[in-house]
Amino acid sequence: MERAIQLPNDEQRVTDIYAVAEHRDQAALGRLFDHYVPKVRSFCLAAQPGANLMADDIAQEVMIRIWNKAHTYKPESASLNTWVFTLARNARIDYLRRNSRHQSDIDPEYLWEYVIDENADPFKDAQQKRDQERIQQGLDKLPPDQKQVLSKVYLEGKTHKEAAEELSLPLGTIKSRVRLALHKLTIYVKR
Amino acid sequence: MIHYHPSIEILTDYAAGSLPLAHSLCVSTHLEHCPECQQQIRKLEMLGSHLFDQVQTEHRQLSNLKDSFFKNLAQQPSPKEKHKVSPQEDKAIRWDDYAIPRSLRQFITKSYDDLTWTRLSPSFKIATLYNEEGGAQVALTRVKAGAHMPTHTHTGDEITLVLQGAFSDESGIYRQGDFINRDASHKHKPIVTKDAECICLTVLDAPIEFTGWLTRLLNPIIRRYHPHSH
Repeated sequence: MERAIQLPNDEQRVTDIYAVAEHRDQAALGRLFDHYVPKVRSFCLAAQPGANLMADDIAQEVMIRIWNKAHTYKPESASLNTWVFTLARNARIDYLRRNSRHQSDIDPEYLWEYVIDENADPFKDAQQKRDQERIQQGLDKLPPDQKQVLSKVYLEGKTHKEAAEELSLPLGTIKSRVRLALHKLTIYVKR
Repeated sequence: MIHYHPSIEILTDYAAGSLPLAHSLCVSTHLEHCPECQQQIRKLEMLGSHLFDQVQTEHRQLSNLKDSFFKNLAQQPSPKEKHKVSPQEDKAIRWDDYAIPRSLRQFITKSYDDLTWTRLSPSFKIATLYNEEGGAQVALTRVKAGAHMPTHTHTGDEITLVLQGAFSDESGIYRQGDFINRDASHKHKPIVTKDAECICLTVLDAPIEFTGWLTRLLNPIIRRYHPHSH
C-alpha cells in the first residue's frame, strides 16, 4: 500500500493555501480552519476577554478573507503565518471600528497596503527566512518582562501608553523594554 | 531622501494594530515613500506572527462554528478579482504633478482642490478630512510658497506628514514623506520654502494654539473646527 507522504505542518499549510487558491479546495480550507481559527479566537480574546461572539465573528471573517484572497498570497513577501497574522490584525481593527461607540470614518482596509512589491528579489526569500529564524529563536530567549510588554502591544492591542498604565510602570520603562527586545531580535537598529 | 521617520514605538504599535487609525493613516502615507520603514514593518509583522503563533489556545469544540462557517461560505458570491490600481491609473490621478497618496484616496478621489478649504489667513488654508469623535482631528494644511505659518504651540500631540513642497522650523527642514511628531511642549514657527506651496497631512490630538499677538485671534476659529470643542 502506498503511504501518503507526510509534509511538515508549515509546508502542508502552504500546499493547502495553493489548493484553496487554484482549486477552491474546501477540504484544504477546513484544515486551515482547524489550525488558524483557535489562534485567531485567542488573539481576539486577548484584546477583549470573554467576548466569545466577537472572537467567533472575527475568526469566521478571517477564514472568509483567506478563501477570497488566497490567490494574492505571495510566499516570497511573507510566510503564511505572517500573512494570516496581518489578516487577523486587520479584521480585528475593522470589527472594533464598526462596533465601537467612537465609530471611525477611516476605512482601515487600505492602511496596511503600502508595499510596492512588483519586482521579486531572488535574495529576499533567503533574507526573509534568516529574519524569521532570528526572530523565532530570539523570542524564546527574551526575559519575561520584555516578552510581556510585546504581548500587551501585539496580542492585547494596547499602545505603549496603555501598556504603561496597565502595568503601573513609567512610559519610559515600557519603551526601553520594547527597544531592548527589538534590539535583541535584530529588528531595531538605531538610525 | 527622507530624513524624519516615525519612532520605533509608533512603528511597533502600527504593525501590531494598536495605533489609533488617524495616526496609522500618517504612518501608512509615510511608508509609501519610505522603503527603510517598510523593511522595519516587515520584520515587526514577522514578530507579530510569532507571538500570534505562540498564543495559548483553549480546548474548545469548534465543530459548530466550522459547520456554520461552511454553510455561510456556500452562500458567498465567488470572489472577484479585486480592482488594483495600475501604474498607468496612478498617473491619471495626478493633477498638477500632485499624486494623491494611496492611503488618502478614500478621502480625495481626484485632486486636493476638491476639498473644502477654509482660509485662516491669506497664505494658510485648512481642510478637515474627518474628526474622530472624542479624538483626533485629521486635516490637510496648505501654505503658500515662502509663507510663515503663525507661531503656535500644541495643546496635544501633533503628527505632520509632508505631502507636497517643504517647510522648515528651528529644528530642521522637512520634505515630502517626512514624518514629524511634536508634543504639547513644543512651540514652533514653520516657514514654507520659497519654491513651492506646501501641503501637509496633520493629525492633532487637541487644537493647536496660536501664540502671536495678532494670530491669537485665530484660536476661536481653530477650536471651532476641532472635535474636542463640540
